[in-house]
Amino acid sequence: MVERLLDSMTIVRKHKSLLLGFVVLILSGCSSREVVVDGSFPEPVIPKLPLTIGVLYTDTFKNHELVDDGSARGEASWRVSTGVAQVEFWSTLLPAAFNDVIYINSIEDLSNYQVDAVFVPTIVDVQYAIPLYTNVKVYELWMRYRLQLVEPEVLIEQASLDVTADNLQAFADWTLSAYGKTPTAFMQSDIDAVNLAAVMALRDAGANFITSFGQAPSVNAWLATALESE
Amino acid sequence: MRLTLPLIVILFLSGCVTANVDEMTFDAPIAGIGDGSIVILGRRHAPDYDTEPDFIDCIGDHISGRDSSITVIPERAFVDSLYPWFEPRTAPLSVEGLDRLMAIEPVADKIVELNLNYMVWVDGRTQDTNSTGSMTCGISPAGGGCFGFGTWGTESDYEATIWNFTNNSEVGRMSASTSGQSYMPAVVVPIPIIAPVQDTACQSLGQQLLQYLSAGS
Repeated sequence: MVERLLDSMTIVRKHKSLLLGFVVLILSGCSSREVVVDGSFPEPVIPKLPLTIGVLYTDTFKNHELVDDGSARGEASWRVSTGVAQVEFWSTLLPAAFNDVIYINSIEDLSNYQVDAVFVPTIVDVQYAIPLYTNVKVYELWMRYRLQLVEPEVLIEQASLDVTADNLQAFADWTLSAYGKTPTAFMQSDIDAVNLAAVMALRDAGANFITSFGQAPSVNAWLATALESE
Repeated sequence: MRLTLPLIVILFLSGCVTANVDEMTFDAPIAGIGDGSIVILGRRHAPDYDTEPDFIDCIGDHISGRDSSITVIPERAFVDSLYPWFEPRTAPLSVEGLDRLMAIEPVADKIVELNLNYMVWVDGRTQDTNSTGSMTCGISPAGGGCFGFGTWGTESDYEATIWNFTNNSEVGRMSASTSGQSYMPAVVVPIPIIAPVQDTACQSLGQQLLQYLSAGS
């Protein structure tokens, strides 16, 4: 349709490709933007806890994405997929923090391997801000997690790994916040900047986890007992 | 003669920059830092700005380019190799924080492995200030062009703090403040005359650090 409209104008016929480019550029300002968070995460330099931990990534966690429909505000819509990066990040962090890590993929895994506890991370909230909204020349991303430790017997009794943070009978349950930002840079697209802010937020989540793990009273009590029996 | 014209053009295309440098150091390494290494890190904990990574790279390049005996560990490699202890949330803000860090055995081992003698923290940023003027650009089937004049100011303000890793102490502070005015006249084609404000700050701070760290300073 746009092409027919352009063809009807004499001047435009000569410079059709140039004008089509402008139209595409203008329309792209209102289109949706997709970010599949991608980054490399270093292995933490920390002393390992002499414990074996099971890790359960729920499907919701593995496929997590933030969707913000900006069409009603006349702005671009955003879809930020963090699931793959979340799994990659936590799978780098946890083996550095514990002696052994068992990824729980089936209920049988809980019987086959002896784990001290099962760690279940849940993403409660992810928010982002770009310079267009804040007038500050930084891209920002916040994440809030709900982290839980559950006894393997509880999951075996439940006979299902289809769990949510609310229906899980965890013996330790605490929240963790993370923040990442990246300043505006010449020739950097919004997508690249939001990706970088998300990677920074994940790194911050790791920093917060490592420095605060054991500060929650229930985790502290579990650590005291578990380390004593090792 | 062949070189004169490009030189004049380059001079003309660079705006003027004024720079102020300040330094307070002690315990400079008399024989240089030997086979040790240094790392230059940017502060990233302020809510509204980050010290630019390319500015940090620029200072590192200035030092290693002029004294090949000094090993400068790249910032990103250092922060990754000691993750998560130099993230914005966890990075020590004062030299006292180093003692707490060195108490963590794997961190202390890594620092020894890197043979780190000095850590330099750089805090600051470059930002555009006032801007005036206007420019109109047009495009027609016959061609396009711009007409007008624009000018803007740029200011850089950086402070470097040097920590000695062998005795966990602060051994100096240096600062560089630069400012300049850039111009963009346009008669058909816009001609940017950019003041190298950040680059001047990098050279100033880099030179001060080089003098401190180099043998025979």
